[in-house]
Amino acid sequence: MNGEKFVTLKVNGKEVTVKEGTLILDAAREAGYEIPTFCYQENLSGVGSCRICFVEIEGQKKLQPSCITPVMADMNVRTDSAQVIAARGAMLEFVLTNHALDCPVCDKGGECELQNMVWKFGPRKGRFTEKKIRFHEKDYILSPVIVKNSNRCVHCMRCVRVCSEVVGKAVLGVIGREAHQEMTSFVRSYLDCDHDGMCIEVCPVGCFMRLPYRYKARHWDLKSAKTVCPYCATGCRMTIQERDGVVVRSIARLGSGFNGRMMCARGRFGYDFLNSKERLKTPLLKVGGVFKEVSWDKALGVIREKFTRADPKKVFGVASARLTNEELYLFQKLVRSVFNSPNLDSTSRWNENASAAFISAAGIPGRGTGIYGAMEADCVFIAGAQISDENPVTDYIVRYTTAAKRNSVIIASSRAMKLDSSSRMSIRHLPGRLGSLLNATALSLYMDYPERLEGTPGIDGIKGKTVEGLGQVSGVEVSDIKSLAGVLRGSASVSILAGVDFLRFREGILGLRLLGAILKTLGKQLEILPLLDRSNQRGAWDMGVHPLFGPGYGEVKEKGLGVDGMLERANEGASDAFYIIGEDILSMYPDRAFAARALSRAGFLVYQDMFMTETAQISDLVLPGASFAEKAGTFTNQEGRVQAAEPLLSPKGEAKTDLEIISAIGSSIAPGFTGADPQRVFEEIRGGLKTYEGIFPGLNDSNGVMVKGSGNTLKEFEEVKEAVSDLGKNTSYPYYLITGNHLFHSGRLSRRSEILRGLLMEPVIEISSILADELGVEDGSRVMVNGRESGAVFSVRVKKGTPKEVVFIPENFEKAPANRFFKRGETVARVNITVHSSF
Amino acid sequence: MLSEKVRGEIRGVLRNYKNLRSACMAALQIIQREAGHITEADMSDVASLLGVNPVQVEEVGAFYTMYNVRKPVGRHHIQVCTNLSCSLLGAGHIVNFIERLLKIKTGGTTQDKRFTLSTVECLGSCATAPMMQVDEDYYENLTEERINEILDGLK
Amino acid sequence: MEKILLKNLNNPGGHTLDNYIAGGGYRAVKEALKLGHDHIIQMVKDSGLRGRGGAGFPTGLKWSFIPKEVYPKYLCCNADEGEPGTFKDRGIIEYDPHLLLEGMIIASYAIGAISAYIYIRGEFAFGAKRLWEAIKEAYEKGLLGKNILGSDFSIDIYVHRGFGAYICGEETALLESIEGFRGQPRKKPPFPAVWGLYGKPTVINNVETLSCIPSIILNGPKWFSSMGSEKSPGPKLYCVSGHVNRPGLYELPMGTPLREIVYNHAGGIKGGRNLKAVIPGGVTAPMLIEKELDVPMDFDSLAKIGSMLGSGGVVVMDDTTCMVKAAYIINRFFSHESCGKCTPCREGTHWMTEVLKRIEYGEGKPGDVELLEGVCANIFGRTFCPLGDGAVMALRGALKNFRDEFAYHVENKRCAARGGFGAIGVWE
Ligand SMILES: Cc1cc2nc3c(=O)[nH]c(=O)nc-3n(C[C@H](O)[C@H](O)[C@H](O)COP(=O)(O)O)c2cc1C
Ligand code: SF4
Ligand code: FES
Repeated sequence: MNGEKFVTLKVNGKEVTVKEGTLILDAAREAGYEIPTFCYQENLSGVGSCRICFVEIEGQKKLQPSCITPVMADMNVRTDSAQVIAARGAMLEFVLTNHALDCPVCDKGGECELQNMVWKFGPRKGRFTEKKIRFHEKDYILSPVIVKNSNRCVHCMRCVRVCSEVVGKAVLGVIGREAHQEMTSFVRSYLDCDHDGMCIEVCPVGCFMRLPYRYKARHWDLKSAKTVCPYCATGCRMTIQERDGVVVRSIARLGSGFNGRMMCARGRFGYDFLNSKERLKTPLLKVGGVFKEVSWDKALGVIREKFTRADPKKVFGVASARLTNEELYLFQKLVRSVFNSPNLDSTSRWNENASAAFISAAGIPGRGTGIYGAMEADCVFIAGAQISDENPVTDYIVRYTTAAKRNSVIIASSRAMKLDSSSRMSIRHLPGRLGSLLNATALSLYMDYPERLEGTPGIDGIKGKTVEGLGQVSGVEVSDIKSLAGVLRGSASVSILAGVDFLRFREGILGLRLLGAILKTLGKQLEILPLLDRSNQRGAWDMGVHPLFGPGYGEVKEKGLGVDGMLERANEGASDAFYIIGEDILSMYPDRAFAARALSRAGFLVYQDMFMTETAQISDLVLPGASFAEKAGTFTNQEGRVQAAEPLLSPKGEAKTDLEIISAIGSSIAPGFTGADPQRVFEEIRGGLKTYEGIFPGLNDSNGVMVKGSGNTLKEFEEVKEAVSDLGKNTSYPYYLITGNHLFHSGRLSRRSEILRGLLMEPVIEISSILADELGVEDGSRVMVNGRESGAVFSVRVKKGTPKEVVFIPENFEKAPANRFFKRGETVARVNITVHSSF
Repeated sequence: MLSEKVRGEIRGVLRNYKNLRSACMAALQIIQREAGHITEADMSDVASLLGVNPVQVEEVGAFYTMYNVRKPVGRHHIQVCTNLSCSLLGAGHIVNFIERLLKIKTGGTTQDKRFTLSTVECLGSCATAPMMQVDEDYYENLTEERINEILDGLK
Repeated sequence: MEKILLKNLNNPGGHTLDNYIAGGGYRAVKEALKLGHDHIIQMVKDSGLRGRGGAGFPTGLKWSFIPKEVYPKYLCCNADEGEPGTFKDRGIIEYDPHLLLEGMIIASYAIGAISAYIYIRGEFAFGAKRLWEAIKEAYEKGLLGKNILGSDFSIDIYVHRGFGAYICGEETALLESIEGFRGQPRKKPPFPAVWGLYGKPTVINNVETLSCIPSIILNGPKWFSSMGSEKSPGPKLYCVSGHVNRPGLYELPMGTPLREIVYNHAGGIKGGRNLKAVIPGGVTAPMLIEKELDVPMDFDSLAKIGSMLGSGGVVVMDDTTCMVKAAYIINRFFSHESCGKCTPCREGTHWMTEVLKRIEYGEGKPGDVELLEGVCANIFGRTFCPLGDGAVMALRGALKNFRDEFAYHVENKRCAARGGFGAIGVWE
């Protein structure tokens, strides 16, 4: 940034030049000197309480804590003077006085900051011979994933700060004072929180510990691999670790990813599906209605026969947006050039025209958008995103960066969410009516600058409308729209975080495009960051796994069908062969009855995945695929950050990586098809896609590598429409149903994690506190939810701040699939809720 | 559940501050004045009244020593100052005397729940040492006779 | 000397508004409203008034740090008075609450505050009641609230009760406490003058400091600075307790010699015994012995001989006093009141107390005195706020003068002063 000032100072006699306001700690580290710290934690407010990080500053009598003291020009700092060394030893001696020192049985042994620090800086001998303070005899459990031993606490307060400043829950506190103070939950009770384990990750000692990892291993027994979290598209960098072939831990490490120590419950604890006994291990062919184990040769033979015989127009391919870039690329190549079919897609949940329009409105082909850069904007506008549930770590980043900047976040959503409390303003609009809100905002800006904005593409669509009218359709007060417009008008830079509700409702995309265009015309610096819910959704689009465009958003010879169209054809009996990788259409397509009917009528159905999913069960041939932990390759997160991953394990039994299978199918039909070497495939990608030109993401690139602009802009395909009328009343089904991912679950994969199931077993419905009061129910009560076609029982979760008419059911529960309540073509489902009183 | 009276009083102090959380100390004081001590449920109620998490209320309750958090006390709480000035003039004696008189140890409550005895740090009444506070009142220049008289007067 | 702060000490009913006004009260407010902000601040600067909360920081200078263009601003009156041996602020609050309110109104006007808080320690229930009553009276008379006395200045004063935490006397912990948090000090900078209550510019002054203001406005800075020592002028409240014949609260000119206070005003040592040690300014202040008694009781003179004026709490100990026990009681206080934030104070005071307790109970080990000195050295100058340093100063004061007595305890497992060691932490 320009206008920044630099200062030069001396650390141990060495000159360093750093930005004004830099902490002495950072300056010294930059100069290459080590300063130990406890209470200091990157991204948290500085407290300067542990006093380990003392430095001596020439001219100042007292030592200063370097972690809260900013540099000044011409300072002469010493990190190694006798005084400093003595003070460090003294502080460590103090910390040890009441520390339990039960290292042999402590899970943290070997990777404990205190252990390491004492080993390095002393004291070699303790003088404290009194009885130590003990908070409790046995460790106590705070959550299905957190176990606590307060006797080891060093009072650095990192846990408490991270819980409120980053996670935004503030369920941990400091109880008591002086040496008897304990960091714990309300009356040490079980935590009702995000269970993301941030407190564990930041704890320097064995005070907060992982319950599932308890007494499982010493860290030096573990084999590690760097990879990327398989859940949402925030794309957290993580390291997974195994012992004797069993994955026991996934961790985020400072300095090895843009996410620092941050991960959510899914990323940190959802690894154990990898160890599941239910993993598929051999190809299974359905013979006479039952699955029979068959060899790969046999399986490939059947595929060759079915797919070569099929009419290419009647061949369909779907590959999950959780595969690697290499696999997705090869998949589209297989479908397009071997099966000769234009029909392929990466998700069954969204319409292809909507996704194409969204990709274009969000400028995804244009370039990558780094999240930290986006957070610098004067206004961060979050729309169409259930960010706190779907992209938890993105939520954390928004929180701790704006907390520092204060008050730049505005949220528009139908549901209340955790991030509301960190926002300057939260607007509640009706489900599926985000477009009207965005258009109303656009109109309000247009009315301020009619001349400047004349001719902006799309502006004609809102002329003749009124802010009041649009506001009414979206269910938003005119005053809120005006203040949103006002903030946008007054901001020199704006970042829009646009989530997948745009796609769920197929609505608001035109509004997003128009608002974007207006902001640009008004000279604002605009960044649009898509928030996506599958780890490699952006990669799937980049690789051209889409019926309307090819790799790098290039034009395709012939436009194909998306899942919508495929199912429609299948339903008509017009499908010969269907190849699906990892996308459990039956549980995800927003009209379960229709998907079931269509798939049962599909021609030869090949399904490839790690588990026997619902779709697998109705397939003709099931191929055992591999997990992310068994693959090398790259992933592209929502920002356009390409990150490399390495395998930790080999696939289970006879299972193969998806790359190997795709390549094998290709070669069996078209000899000479690309081999299964991820590096070679990536080279092909790099050669063919402008966006990936010259990109070499290495395993050690802690921040990955951003994609470049493709130069392509997507043409609009079929016009997406915007809802124009209000939702109307329906007295029999008075509530609007929203669906999406639950905080602890992402799609259905996470349901295979025992640990995550331990956090949330039964299907839940989130309702507003107003409705809860009206129904006389509370958290954990049971309610019956009825749609027109079906009903199910759910456990209630009450949410303050959600409008009364809006309810939310996560899409992740096999016992009560949310897609049951949806009907094709209808994006806003309606339900009725009654108290369930069967027992 | 907090009584309407207590709720009303708490609402009354809210306007003294710029935000709800600031009223936490006062809210707990009001509750303790009515009930003698503060329960877990009280803290949850205060939390929802002030829009904070229960643990943040407990933090306050557990930091300030005058709150009797989850620690019922007798009808009368005797607190004898044992800091320097009082100790110089016989606070130790006073504590021992009351312990014998009430047949309890410091920190304990009489069986009839009439008295709880505690020792505390300086109460700012050093010139009239030794002294004690019973509930909200100071009793100074204590002697054995005075104590007998005072405690007899408290039912 | 004419009483300025304790005029109403022995005047039953003197705390009421009517009596206060009858004695010329609230004239200073009227006067001040005519003077304008800058003028008042200049007068306070010229008077040489230094904060009576302990640190002796020049009050006018503190007020002048408040930025003009930031709103709102706050005034906080520090009535936490927790320093053992101190009861001066309580005296003013109970006997002359309007004096404090008048001082606060003027101070608020000078710095441009529109809300002011009195942070009173929870134990002073009676004091809080007095303040509530006085504030109510003042509102009724239009001395508080909107447009006071018909001027365009509005001011509200609220009472915030602490509830048992000495550390809340530290100014930033006090702010945290008002905001509804645990009372732990904040890092400085930013100083409260810039980032105080609710993140806004805030002045924090002691009760006694603010109570000096009305007389400065009425009689002028020259009059004020003519009293007391040159560098610390004005009247000062001294709280005398311990082994003296007339313990109590005395208003004397700043700089009155300690000997005069102990022997003339407080009537000398009880029972005609000899003086062993005297703490001049609350238990934090290192103790002095007989030969140091001629020291003038002001900030600089006491600092020069290695002690401090602190809060003006004079605690006198006669020759029967066991210094180990005294040190133990003082230290127990500090470890009990350590807020828990920083390592050296939290762990160090706890450690020292454990060792002192052991020595006192006859379980001392060879090397314990050196250990105490070592722990002191490891705490001193390294704590987050001055509380930890205070604990060290107090203990060092005792060790400096009575090291032999500690050694005797360790070696002989009994007390030299009284031939025995006492029961559970208190004197018998
Ligand atoms: C541990 C500690 C305790 C303190 N206690 C008090 C107190 O009880 N009353 C007080 O007025 N100042 C106390 N102070 C001093 C205050 O921090 C602050 O300096 C004072 O209130 C400023 O007011 P003044 O400028 O009028 O002296 C204490 C300071 C520390 C470090
Ligand atoms: S010195 Fe440290 S622990 Fe002690 S009171 Fe101050 S901040 Fe708290
Ligand atoms: S790391 Fe600086 S004081 Fe703790």
